[in-house]
Amino acid sequence: MKKINKVIGKILKYGTLISTLALIGTVLLQIFARFFLESAPSWTEEASRFLFIYAISFAAGLAMKQKYYVHLDLIFNKLSPKGQKWLEFLISALIVLLFGLFTFYAIQFVQLGHAEKSPSLAIRMSFAFGSMFIMGASITYFAWLETQKAFKKLRA
Amino acid sequence: MILALILVFIICLILRFPIAFSLGLACLVYVLLKGLPLLIVPLKMYSGIDVFVLLSIPGFILAGNLMNHGGLTEKIIHFCNHLLGHIRGGLALANIGASMLFAGISGTAVADTASIGSVMIPAMKKEGYKVDFACAVTASSSTVGPIIPPSVPMIIAATLSGLSVGRLFLAGAIPGFMLGIGLMLVAYIISVRENYPKLQRSTLRQIGKGFIDTFWALLMTFIILFGIIGGVFTPTEASIIAVVYALLIGAFVYRKLTLRNIPVIILDSMKTSASLMVLVGFANLFGWILITERLPQAISEGILDFTQNKYLVLLLINILLIFVGTFMETIAALLILFRSF
Repeated sequence: MKKINKVIGKILKYGTLISTLALIGTVLLQIFARFFLESAPSWTEEASRFLFIYAISFAAGLAMKQKYYVHLDLIFNKLSPKGQKWLEFLISALIVLLFGLFTFYAIQFVQLGHAEKSPSLAIRMSFAFGSMFIMGASITYFAWLETQKAFKKLRA
Repeated sequence: MILALILVFIICLILRFPIAFSLGLACLVYVLLKGLPLLIVPLKMYSGIDVFVLLSIPGFILAGNLMNHGGLTEKIIHFCNHLLGHIRGGLALANIGASMLFAGISGTAVADTASIGSVMIPAMKKEGYKVDFACAVTASSSTVGPIIPPSVPMIIAATLSGLSVGRLFLAGAIPGFMLGIGLMLVAYIISVRENYPKLQRSTLRQIGKGFIDTFWALLMTFIILFGIIGGVFTPTEASIIAVVYALLIGAFVYRKLTLRNIPVIILDSMKTSASLMVLVGFANLFGWILITERLPQAISEGILDFTQNKYLVLLLINILLIFVGTFMETIAALLILFRSF
């Protein structure tokens, strides 16, 4: 299990880094071409959008793992320790449900994009829509780990 | 149906669900109750973040983080201490001044609070300031961040309304400055009443050196601002220029950025950006549902039924904005409310 976690973590980490660096490179090329070349390539805007969505999708799971999503502490601290444990379990379980369904329907979304091509790069939109599957699956995975942890705490 | 959407959202928020997922769960319940195809959830998430101008958000967050790790925060704080420290409550004033300067780099209030607060709150506590006062000064002065350009909420507002990002940035500069001065005035009055300490007056030489140290940060703000307003760069391009600039300054001028810490900073910035973008995606679906249910029309008809006076209408809208802003995260509030008005 630890090995799987490590591999998934590395895929997401390098995916985020590579997409972000490629995004920076593409926007710099766009600026350079506008100022120093006769005509700017038409594909840079589309490529940078795709890279941005991929960078965000890879990072979304890591953000789940390291609790980057902001929440409000309105009643949590007023609950009993047992109540807090139940609530932690409920929150992670419902996130699994939300993103489990999201991931399942993201597969349909990818299939939908197979027939369509992007205007500038002429790549299949299923490639771009695949980012939603990565986002959904990685958040579901880390939320599932959280649910297991919360369940163990609840039983302890 | 709309009641279920709003109720689920509020209950999830109260129960400590992350704000982004509270929106997502509320939308999920609505979609299931309404019998709509669930395919709409990833579809609206994708279309919500597939907007070119939103690319500038990770850019500004990354540039701010690079500058912060490059040692700029301490330099800004030192400069403000030299400039304002000799006045009664000097550290509180320096805290606000540093937030105003840092606002020109980061674009978000959270980044300002984390960077300035981690240095200033312990320092103020050590000098005998009450902790609640130190926290209140840091939190309220950080709200100047999204008003003084560059500003992530303004980029989102411009995207939603079709207004120019450059003009919104320009419109925020003077009110942001005035807000900062107003906060300093309040902090000064409280400091005199509480007899908070003042530091020794700095020499002109010290102030001059402090200014030179922060010069690079100020120059970055000018490049971003005038690059966008002058039509040289789009906001997205300006944010990437800011990243390259922050990298060069952090690595070669301040010499604090290395090949080892740069990937960590990029990852941290992208995780922050991802948490915002998931929120943007779900808020896009939430806003779409509100429009489908004709809620914006109902709100505007309700206000106009109550009064036709334009000043009173503006006042009512502002009261609603203050109320919503007290409980809701800025970006989610922007995405939902812009569709409602």
